[in-house]
Amino acid sequence: MNEQDFAELSAGHALHALSPDDERRYSAALAAHPEWQRIADRDAATAAALADGVAAEAPPSSLRDALLAQISAPPSEPESMVQPPARTSDPVRRASRGRRRSWFALAASIVLVVAIGVSGLIVAQQLGRSPAQTTLAQIQEQSDAKSATADVAGGGTATAHWSDSLGKAVLVTDGLPAIATDRVFELWFVRDGGPEPAGVFTAASGDATAALTGAMHAGDTIAVTVEQAGGSPSGKPTTDPIVAIPTA
Amino acid sequence: MLVDMVIDGFDVSEEESEPVDHVGDLLLRVADGDRAAFAELYDTLSSRVFGLILRILVDRSQSEEVLQEVFLELWQSASRFAPNRGQGRTWVLTIAHRRAVDRVRASQASSDRDVRAGFRDLGVAFDSVAEEVALRDDATRVTKALAVLPEVQREAVVLAYYGGYSQSEIAALTGSPLGTVKTRMRDGLTRLRMEMGVTS
Repeated sequence: MNEQDFAELSAGHALHALSPDDERRYSAALAAHPEWQRIADRDAATAAALADGVAAEAPPSSLRDALLAQISAPPSEPESMVQPPARTSDPVRRASRGRRRSWFALAASIVLVVAIGVSGLIVAQQLGRSPAQTTLAQIQEQSDAKSATADVAGGGTATAHWSDSLGKAVLVTDGLPAIATDRVFELWFVRDGGPEPAGVFTAASGDATAALTGAMHAGDTIAVTVEQAGGSPSGKPTTDPIVAIPTA
Repeated sequence: MLVDMVIDGFDVSEEESEPVDHVGDLLLRVADGDRAAFAELYDTLSSRVFGLILRILVDRSQSEEVLQEVFLELWQSASRFAPNRGQGRTWVLTIAHRRAVDRVRASQASSDRDVRAGFRDLGVAFDSVAEEVALRDDATRVTKALAVLPEVQREAVVLAYYGGYSQSEIAALTGSPLGTVKTRMRDGLTRLRMEMGVTS
């Protein structure tokens, strides 16, 4: 694909008008040619400017209240939302405070639902349990759910939870080292073809639950590197992993 | 004299050529779990975002749901915002547009979005945009830019952005080959960027 072909895909992508096949071609081309990112960024800015062509409309104030109530609720503790898996493939050190915390998580979620009432239920379902936590619960429901914990270079631990049959993985961190505000943690599936980017996350006070994006392949190693905001632009790690957890 | 205006969180200073990315700053704070920054982000952009979603989805209760989804995504994924790649406002509006389009495709996957409905939309899409924006100064840049486009390019861009139609749907609606629609969209967006003076 040449730059002109990519520019055509980029316009369609910016307007969210590509077919799923073209969307895949677009992503693949961008991964292969990080230098074309500027075309994509420019098109995104142009498309977004079109939003000014529509009259602004104030949403109902109840929406604001529901959202703010939700994000102000105490964060539920991800590692305790489900029971630890029955068996693991690797020696695992489980967080000893998991069970104690689960009661707080449960209590918090009840308070949450009561506080926001029916109109906020959508928000409750999504915010009370983040997408990563939902994925984590989904993994734990699988009969082949596994987890493994490893120490993180610089301090703290990371526990990977995965299910080969589901093809999904979630990383729960505890006490990660502080990083500069313009840096993020980036997740990777490391496999034969090299590391595949699997999303970025930040960890306020070192604790985070992050679902890896993309499909996990059986035998992948789950790794984390520290990268610039938004993740490594090249799609490849630019630093050594601070933790790597084999799943096979 | 230094006069600052704040338009949707976009600080425009008369004397400084480099605009401050107010929304981008808020997003960086939201990424750190700053709730006050989230509230400010909501107050700054929720009306703009809601207006856009409503334009695409029409249905008010669905639009409210999508607005919630958008701000939840912002709260949870603000760390994905890369300041070196563009303005915060662009990032937010891109997410909002994608969510609204995803919803309109999911909810109208069946016969709703047939060719007849599309033709009806085609008739009102640009007219209603032009009508709405005629009264507002901050939107004249968009109207003027759209008006300058050749009709077939405007049609492709308007149906995609304001109507949420995919390239293949637009090809069916306008009876044009898919490749032609793709080219029109590319040319239309490039022309718009020049007309509106967009810098990413």
